[in-house]
Amino acid sequence: MFSLTRSTLYCCPRRVFTASWRSKVQTVQKPVRTHWRTYAQISERNTIGAFTPTAAALFILTGIGLAVYLRNEKQRLEEEREKERALKSYGRPQIGGPFSLTTHDGEPFTQEGLLGKWSLVYFGFTNCPDICPAELDKITAVMNNIQKEHGHIFLPIFISVDPARDSPSRIAQYLKDFHPSFLGLVGAYDTTKAVCKAYRVYFSTPPNADPNGDYLVDHSIFVYLMDPRGQFVEAFGQQVTAEEVEAKINESITQWQKGTGKKV
Amino acid sequence: MGWFWSSTSKEDPTAPNRENRQRCWETRDTYFACLDRAGVVKAGEEGKACEKEHKAYEGNCAKSWIEYFNQRRIIADAQKERLGLRNNSRTPKSDLQGSFFG
Repeated sequence: MFSLTRSTLYCCPRRVFTASWRSKVQTVQKPVRTHWRTYAQISERNTIGAFTPTAAALFILTGIGLAVYLRNEKQRLEEEREKERALKSYGRPQIGGPFSLTTHDGEPFTQEGLLGKWSLVYFGFTNCPDICPAELDKITAVMNNIQKEHGHIFLPIFISVDPARDSPSRIAQYLKDFHPSFLGLVGAYDTTKAVCKAYRVYFSTPPNADPNGDYLVDHSIFVYLMDPRGQFVEAFGQQVTAEEVEAKINESITQWQKGTGKKV
Repeated sequence: MGWFWSSTSKEDPTAPNRENRQRCWETRDTYFACLDRAGVVKAGEEGKACEKEHKAYEGNCAKSWIEYFNQRRIIADAQKERLGLRNNSRTPKSDLQGSFFG
């Protein structure tokens, strides 16, 4: 009864007045009681009508339920937003883009050749004393492991920053020391410069380099991971280990699979 | 000694292969170890102390590589000097080279 009064009070103060007045009437003014009582009873029934204990319980339960649901929903949305943020955490740097080069077999090759495979792109030159071969060895080690796990869905690419000396045949010879999937690419000085610009790679070869000269090329040493749409995913510096590169590739493939249902 | 993979032959010089690189690195390490024993940092300042090692180094590495490695050695030594001053202990040179070329 108490809880009922409370809900009444909560609902409509006018009725509280009616009720308390009625109780006074009940104790003092007996003669007119019947009429007042009837009226009070009707009004009480009306009051009770909307707020039976069951209704109150339902009301409270619904309230709690809604609060819990909304809180969960809010948390879920926040988590989803967080996940999305993690996926795009760095935005997508504008790395990569159209290019037109020649493979080590003398075939033309453009950015479209990157589609449908995960590619690891490295810029270097065949007369590189130590860093390039070390990086290409690293890519070879990575390739051996990820291919075992995921199959032939990877394309390691070596782009020459020394077009004066690195002929397709010379690159073909050079790449024999590394993973058999390696694709060597080379172009004229201007196309080399353009592809380096697209990938934000610095290189020091002068346009008029002597094809028979004995010189070194200073260049940026990053391995770029590109997704099967040919879009940039990650750049790995020299200090990043093969294991770390593999971990990032596996993670990227998992995410890609979540979005597309496929590995490539 | 003698063969050279670049600049000397005019027709389509081939790139060094794994074996060439390996041999070059080995002769470099031997030569640099000799310089260490002689207490010399800058290649060429050792007089006649490492003649045999130097000859092997020159015979197995391109000139551009030799210049690069020699330069690297000087830079590495300067770095080590800076680091070494702090705790007054000198680390062996070969350790530092390992981090570059290993």
